[in-house]
Amino acid sequence: MYLISKEDVKKIAFELAKDYDLHGPVKEDRSGQVFFQKAEDPASIDLGAAIPSNPAKQVIFPQLERIMKYRYDSQKKEAVVELDELTRPKALFGLRSCDLKGILCLDRFFLGQEFVDEFYLAHRNRLFIVTNTCTSPFPQCFCVCTDSGPYAVEGYDLNLTELENDFLVETGSEKGKKLVERLGLKKADPDKHEAEKKAVIDKSINSFDGTATDNKAWISRVTNRVTTGFITEENWEYIGNQCFECGACTFVCPSCSCFNVEDANVAEGETDRLRTWDSCSYEGYSRMAGDHNPRKPVEDRRNKRFFCKLSYSQSKKYLRPGCVGCGRCAWVCPGDIGLPNVVTYIRREITS
Amino acid sequence: MSYQFGVCTFCGTGCGHFLKTAGDVIEGVYPAEKHPVSKGRLCVRGWHIHELLRNSDRLTQPLIRVDDELVETSYENALSFLSDRIKKAKPDPVSDIGFLASPRSSNEEQYLLMRIARQVLGTGNISLDSEGWQQSSLEVINEGTGFPGMTGSAEEIDKTDFIMVVDFDITRQNPIIGSEIHLAAMAGTKVVTVDSRQTQIAKLSSDFLQVRPGSTEILMGALARIIIDEELVDLKKIKSSVSEYEQFKKAATKLELSAAIEKTGIEETVLRETARSLAKAESGMVFFPTGISGITPATVKMIFNLFLLAGKVGTPASGVNPVPGINNLQGGIDMGAVPNRLTGFQDVRDSKVIDKFQDAWGGEFCADPGQPIYELIKKHPKLLFVVDHDEGIIKNADDISKSDTVVYIGAYNNPFTKLADIVLPITPYVETAGTYTTTGRRVQLSTQKLKPTGGVKPGWEVLQMIAASQGHEWKYENPAEIMLEIASLTPNYKGISHDRLRSLIGGIQWPCNDEYPNGCKSFDSSKAKQVLKFVAVGNDPTPVEPTEDFPWLLMVGKAMHFWHQNNLMKKTFIPNREFNAELLLYPNGFVEVSREDAEKLEIRNGWNVNVVSPSGSVEVKVKVSGDVKSGTAYMPYFVKDMVSQFLLQHKQSLELGENASVPVRIEAIR
Repeated sequence: MYLISKEDVKKIAFELAKDYDLHGPVKEDRSGQVFFQKAEDPASIDLGAAIPSNPAKQVIFPQLERIMKYRYDSQKKEAVVELDELTRPKALFGLRSCDLKGILCLDRFFLGQEFVDEFYLAHRNRLFIVTNTCTSPFPQCFCVCTDSGPYAVEGYDLNLTELENDFLVETGSEKGKKLVERLGLKKADPDKHEAEKKAVIDKSINSFDGTATDNKAWISRVTNRVTTGFITEENWEYIGNQCFECGACTFVCPSCSCFNVEDANVAEGETDRLRTWDSCSYEGYSRMAGDHNPRKPVEDRRNKRFFCKLSYSQSKKYLRPGCVGCGRCAWVCPGDIGLPNVVTYIRREITS
Repeated sequence: MSYQFGVCTFCGTGCGHFLKTAGDVIEGVYPAEKHPVSKGRLCVRGWHIHELLRNSDRLTQPLIRVDDELVETSYENALSFLSDRIKKAKPDPVSDIGFLASPRSSNEEQYLLMRIARQVLGTGNISLDSEGWQQSSLEVINEGTGFPGMTGSAEEIDKTDFIMVVDFDITRQNPIIGSEIHLAAMAGTKVVTVDSRQTQIAKLSSDFLQVRPGSTEILMGALARIIIDEELVDLKKIKSSVSEYEQFKKAATKLELSAAIEKTGIEETVLRETARSLAKAESGMVFFPTGISGITPATVKMIFNLFLLAGKVGTPASGVNPVPGINNLQGGIDMGAVPNRLTGFQDVRDSKVIDKFQDAWGGEFCADPGQPIYELIKKHPKLLFVVDHDEGIIKNADDISKSDTVVYIGAYNNPFTKLADIVLPITPYVETAGTYTTTGRRVQLSTQKLKPTGGVKPGWEVLQMIAASQGHEWKYENPAEIMLEIASLTPNYKGISHDRLRSLIGGIQWPCNDEYPNGCKSFDSSKAKQVLKFVAVGNDPTPVEPTEDFPWLLMVGKAMHFWHQNNLMKKTFIPNREFNAELLLYPNGFVEVSREDAEKLEIRNGWNVNVVSPSGSVEVKVKVSGDVKSGTAYMPYFVKDMVSQFLLQHKQSLELGENASVPVRIEAIR
């Protein structure tokens, strides 16, 4: 446990920028919208900014990424494949715990099973993660109900918490320890500063919306329902009728991992093979050979997504709930079926 | 900053987005939270615009047709080729030259194209592609109010008390406006959907009036009649403040209520309840589509009159709102890319307007109303200019191929280049700056995000080169200068400039002038230039009736993932896959029939049937659905053969747009 003064906290970012491509929350000038994105200038990172509109997953699982290119010569019937070399390793600075939990879910999906995704692994292996305890939750936030915040407990190299005068710096890995030593940070008083950190977290939790804090079983009872399937068809239909099939909930979700692979240019010559974000809310996503589709009606596809976020069997896969409680899906949904609302609709059914 | 603010250019909603750029490519898109209309949302198209912008199927080299082959050349050569053709053909501007403008071009490019037509080549023969009924809807509103645009605003949907959605699959066509309406309904606003097929917005509405196909106009008349009969509004006040009331009353009360009930299939109690809630609501809005399958001018007139009668025109949080499907259709009309108007709906025959343009343009120009382009095309004009023709299936392809010289100006490779003699590539919108005007009169600036690719020039430069090749040196340095000129000539755009727009998320809603210095959310009748007026309605509408031989009424409409004939969507990955999934399932298309009718025909979901009309037949699969009523059927157009072999046979009935219906017989194939 170490301390760094508020003025100096960005020194960590500057230090990281020497060896890593630095990413963090940056405010866009014109609109003030916050993006978790590459920060050419470490000073542009804003640790006090609102929760980034986009999930940090886009750094290691981009919306669109070239995974290889190839050149096809139709005369010789020859294809030459070229893999892109990854440039510098990446550092995530000022990550919130919800976004970190999302990455831990993605780890389970891309790396935790018998198939290991090389491209994800290449990004992930060399990642340096600096989390920051969240002190300003938004009305839609409910990470306290999904075991994902407002503070990080695992998976970081360094964890920051803003105390009265300083930032408390906790190390979570050898890499993290080395960086702290290199910066020569002063040691914190374990008892005193631990207590201060706890006070900060308590204050943050108290600032959550009532729905999230008054009833801790808010999400878990619904998870039980979703798992056991005791939800009426009418309720799924009510939810499905509101789905505009835009895919936004998937794209903004820190733990959603659906992707598609496409060749950008199918003509002769050089072609990029791209991986893009995809969504289980699309009908074509689950269509199989012979035109079979286990998830054809929209309400079935909705139901699938909430099953992925809120069921015991999925929790076994992720070793945690699939939903990280960031509430972004509620911001972007053209219907009114962001996850918190779906939970409400299901609870309404339980209580009636 | 790798995320740069921009404007989505798919539909007329004009949502705000951020494009993620890395070097010379677009790598992603993200919704803009602060945009006043889209408020952090995008639809499935908007979420994939980066895939389109990544597409490599671009036009990169000017082409000219030599011995029936298109060969690569330079811009200069292509233009001298054009000059030679013009010199040789000596086209008569009135009958031999036509311009098909694109509803996707920026305002600046629309304006320059209009200037080329009117000043350089001296013709008024300019129309917007895929125009449908946007202009005629605006003509109706303009006649009644002097205000040539949506009188309300998508931004005020959450403030209004009553919303009517007419013949509009709005959650598919303009999803974010649909979303606003849905959220308003969730918050307790009365939303009434009028349609012949149960769309998503119908399911999300408080009331759904499933009218018989083609009877929307009758329904609107019946509602007006009830308001008058029951005196639900202060009729004295209407009589004194709105002109042509008596004439309208006569038209609205001509049809007995009982006849209206029979023709629309809507019960009297429902009609009365709807009329009462419309009249009694503090404020109210109506949304209807105006694209190629929009509703007819006659219906628009009736809707306008009904809302004017109900006091929902020119009052706060109210409006008559035509919604185009394509992003800059409104802008194209504003820029005068139509036969009878100059910029900002100024009448081309108005002598003061003519003088103003002559002064600014330094010379004479053609101030005669032109011919509508599709009329002209049938006469094979010698010289035809076409910009970014966005349709996979080209109407009148045979006629177009008979024109001597077809000049195609566009960014992407598409079927139209096959008909062209000269192809002039331009950059896609992210490689230059330009403004676009949404359905809500919102003028928004899209800044340049990438450098132009491989020597391709932006549209405004190419248009300027065309003018120069004909001896008109214009010397615009950039699109911002063009907008300054537009603003100086267009009262509604007077206060608009790139400088002013640059810092605004969501732009400015015109009119932006001395009366509305910060733009205009909704038309205010106290600032109107004329007395409000009921517009004259035509003869009694006569909906198509089924016959003994053809007992079903077939409705034709749009399919999911098939927007604007798919020319853009098929350049994306995910929406294109979705379309292909639909196509694989229904390779020849499908027809939706009710459960009741399926039972009667002894057919099941997925079986093949013949849909037979008096002028043709087509074999398609059946989709049994709860969304259509017994005696009606629905066929979306998304299969090329179905369109070209079957639906185009019914061009005349389909020209009735969303009201279109064709009597058919459905035969099971055993």
